[in-house]
Amino acid sequence: MEIDRPDGRTQNQLRPLACSRNILNRAHGSARWSQGDTIVLAAVYGPKAGTKKNENPEKASIEVIWKPKTGQVGKAEKEYELILRRTLQSICVLTINPNTTTSVTLQVVNDDGSLLPCAINAACAALVDAGIPLKHLAVAICCSLTGSGSVVLDPSKLEEQKMEAFMYLVFPNSVHSVLPEGSLHVDGEPMEHGIITSVTHGVMSVDDYLHCLERGHAASARISDFLRRSLQSQALGNPSKAA
Amino acid sequence: MGSSGASGNLEGEMEVDAFRRLFPLRFHERHLLESIRPDARPLERARESTVALGAVASADGSAMAKIGHTTMLAAIKMEVMTPSSESPDEGCVAIDFHMPPICSPFVRPGRPAEVAPVIAKQLSDAITSSGMINLKELSLTTGKAAWMAYLDVYCLDADGALFDAALLSAVAAFSHLQIPAVSINEDGRVVTMSREDGDGKLANDPVIKERRKLTLNCILFSLTCILHKKYILADPTAEEESVMETHVTVVLDSSSRLVSLYKPGGPVLAYASAVQDCIALTRHRVKELQKILNEAISDMEVD
Amino acid sequence: MAGKAASVPSTYSPSPTQKKKPTIFKDVDWVRPDGRGFHQCRPAFLRTSAVNAASGSAYVEFGNTKVIVSVFGPRESKKAMLYSDVGRLNCNVSYTTFATPIRGQGSDHKEFSSMLHKALEGAIILETFPKTTVDVFALVLECGGSDLPVVISCASLALADAGIMMYDLVTAVSVSCLGKNLVIDPISEEESFQDGSLMITCLPSRNEVTQLTLTGEWSTPKIHEAMELCLDACSKLGEIMRSCLKEAVSISKE
Repeated sequence: MEIDRPDGRTQNQLRPLACSRNILNRAHGSARWSQGDTIVLAAVYGPKAGTKKNENPEKASIEVIWKPKTGQVGKAEKEYELILRRTLQSICVLTINPNTTTSVTLQVVNDDGSLLPCAINAACAALVDAGIPLKHLAVAICCSLTGSGSVVLDPSKLEEQKMEAFMYLVFPNSVHSVLPEGSLHVDGEPMEHGIITSVTHGVMSVDDYLHCLERGHAASARISDFLRRSLQSQALGNPSKAA
Repeated sequence: MGSSGASGNLEGEMEVDAFRRLFPLRFHERHLLESIRPDARPLERARESTVALGAVASADGSAMAKIGHTTMLAAIKMEVMTPSSESPDEGCVAIDFHMPPICSPFVRPGRPAEVAPVIAKQLSDAITSSGMINLKELSLTTGKAAWMAYLDVYCLDADGALFDAALLSAVAAFSHLQIPAVSINEDGRVVTMSREDGDGKLANDPVIKERRKLTLNCILFSLTCILHKKYILADPTAEEESVMETHVTVVLDSSSRLVSLYKPGGPVLAYASAVQDCIALTRHRVKELQKILNEAISDMEVD
Repeated sequence: MAGKAASVPSTYSPSPTQKKKPTIFKDVDWVRPDGRGFHQCRPAFLRTSAVNAASGSAYVEFGNTKVIVSVFGPRESKKAMLYSDVGRLNCNVSYTTFATPIRGQGSDHKEFSSMLHKALEGAIILETFPKTTVDVFALVLECGGSDLPVVISCASLALADAGIMMYDLVTAVSVSCLGKNLVIDPISEEESFQDGSLMITCLPSRNEVTQLTLTGEWSTPKIHEAMELCLDACSKLGEIMRSCLKEAVSISKE
C-alpha cells in the first residue's frame, strides 16, 4: 500500500546520506553525518589517561557528552548520553587500552527527525576517524509505523509526530568476509541481524515490531554499504592523529 | 586461584564469598551452567513482588511496590493549573523519579545517580505514549482550570530492576488515586470541599466534580531481562546487573501490545529469537503482576 | 508522540489555606487535636533493617511523622579529605516532595543536616574507625510535626543496627510552648501556633545532653520544667528503642 510522503519518497526510501570526516583540527577524530536535514557533528578525544572513580580500571571507558542545538541539558539529553554510551561500549574493544577514557562529544546542528540514529552513525564514523579499535561498526536506522500498520523508514520530524509509533534500531554492519558463509551465523541468523540497541516510542503490536525489525535489517545493509564506501575513499593518505 | 573444587570442608566454604567478590562473572556462570542463580531462582522466575496501596496518607494517591529487595514509593499530589491554549480541555501529568542517598551506596547527596533522569524519562514516555491516562478527565473548566497530577516516585532501596518496580508503583498509585471534590470560590480560585462545609453553604458554584477515581484505559507492566551468551535471566538483582551488562526492558499493556522495547546497547546482540523469548517472559509476568495488583486493590476496597 | 513544549505551568494547591492563628492563649487552654494529654507522646513504631542496600537502617513512625534513615560505612573517605586518625561523620537530611501538605516545602529545613551532625557526633566513638567516614542519610517521608527529634532518634537506631560503636543511644524529644501550656511531641498544627520550642537530645542511660535548642521567649522556671519533661520522655524512648533492637537481634537469630 503506497503511503504519500510530503517529500515524495517511497516507504522504504532513505533520505540522502552524507558523511565527512576529519573536519575538526583539534579533535583526535571527528565526523559530520547528515540524513536529509538532520545533521549531527561528533568529535572524539582520546584515549586519555585515567578513568572515573566508579569505573572498572581493567577496561577502557567511554564518556559521552550530548549538546542540544538550543536550550539546556535536560533528561532527554541524559537519556541519549546513556544510550550512546552503552552502544559505543558494545562496539569498542575495551580491553586493548585499559584504564583510559575516550570522550565523545555530539553537537546537534539540526534536528529534522531521526536524531538519535544520525548521532550514533556520526559517533561511529568519528571513532573510525580517531583510530579507536572497534569490533564492528554500528549502523542506526529509524523505522516508524503508521496507523494502518505499514512501515515507513527514516521519517522526518513532521512525519514522526504524526506516526503511531516509531523506533530507533542499531545493528552491526554487514560483513564482507573471505570465510565461507556459515561461519558468522549464530543460530541460523547472520550476525548483522542482531540488535545492538532498540528504543521504541508509542504503542504497537509485537508482530509490527518484528516486521519493523526486518525492514530495519534491509535498510541497515544499505547504510553500511554507504559507510563502507565513504570510509574507504577517505582512508587513503590520511595519517592517524591519535596522540 | 583455580576454581575451588567441591571440597566440602570449612576452607571450601570460606572461599565462596571471596570467589564471589574476586571473580563475579565466573561465579555467576558456574550457576548458569546448572540453570540456577545464586539466590536459588530458576532463570525465568522473577523475585517475589508485593504492592501496598495508600502508603502516604497526605497524598491523593500513593502506593509502595517491592520486587525482592527493591522498594519504590510513589505518591500523586494534585494541583490546579491553567491549561495551555492548544489543549484547553486537557490536564497534565508530571512524572519524576528520585533516587535519594538512602537507597544505594553509590548515590551521594552531591552526586545524583546517572540512571535517575533516564528512568524518569522512560517512565513518562511509557505512561504518556500508551495513553493509560485520559488527559481530558483531568479537566475542570475548559480553558480556565485543569488538574496537574505530580507523580513522584522515590526509590527507597535499590537492588536491580529499578524501572520495573517504579512502573509498578506508578501504576498502582494511579489506580489508587482519588481526585478530590472541588468548587470555585468567589475569587475564581479552585478550593477543595472539606467535609465540614455543608452543601450549598454560600453562593459558591455547585461542586464541579465530586470525589472520583481516575479511569485507566490500560495498565502497563514491564520486565527487565539480562542477556548473557545463550541465557536469558528475568528480573536481575543489582549484582547480576553490574556483572552482565546487557539489559532488555519490555513494557506490555494489559491487551498485550508492545509499549516499549528498550535495549540500550550492551555487549550481547539480541536476535529475533531472544526478542521473542523476552516478550514471552514478559507476557507471563504481566499475568502475575495483574493478579498481585488486583489483590491489592480489592484489599483496599474491603477496608 | 513527540515531546510537548517544555514550559512548566505554574500551579497551586487547592487545599484551603491555613486557619488563622486564634487569639493568644492567655486564658484559654489548648486542646490537642488528637486527644492526647499535654505530657503524652505519640505511640511509636520502630523497625530496623528497613533498607537492604545499607550497612544499617531504621524506619520510625511517630503518628504521622515517618522517617527512614540509612547508614553506610565505615567507608573510604573522599580523596580530597586529608588523613585523620579519627573517623568522620557525614549527615544529610532530605524531604520527599510529598512530605509537606503543600508540595515542595521541604527545602525550608536545610539546617537539619548540620543539627543532626551536632547531635550525633558527641555519641559516636570516632576513634574506632580512623581514616574512614560514616554516612548517615535521612529521608523524611511524611512530616507530621516534631521532625528533627524523630530523625535523630531514628538515626541512632540505624547506627546501632549498622554496628557503629557509640557511647549510648541518642534520643530526642521536643516540647512546644502554647501560651501557658507546655505540650510534648507537638504535631505540625501545634508547631505552627507555638510561641516557643525546646528540643533536647540526650543519652538516656548516661544522663548527658548532647544538644539543646531553644527558640522563643522562656522564663527560667519554665525552662527547668520543660527540661524535666523532655529528659523523662527521652529515657522512656530509650527503653523502647532498646527493646526494639533486642527484638531485632532475637528474630535474626531464629
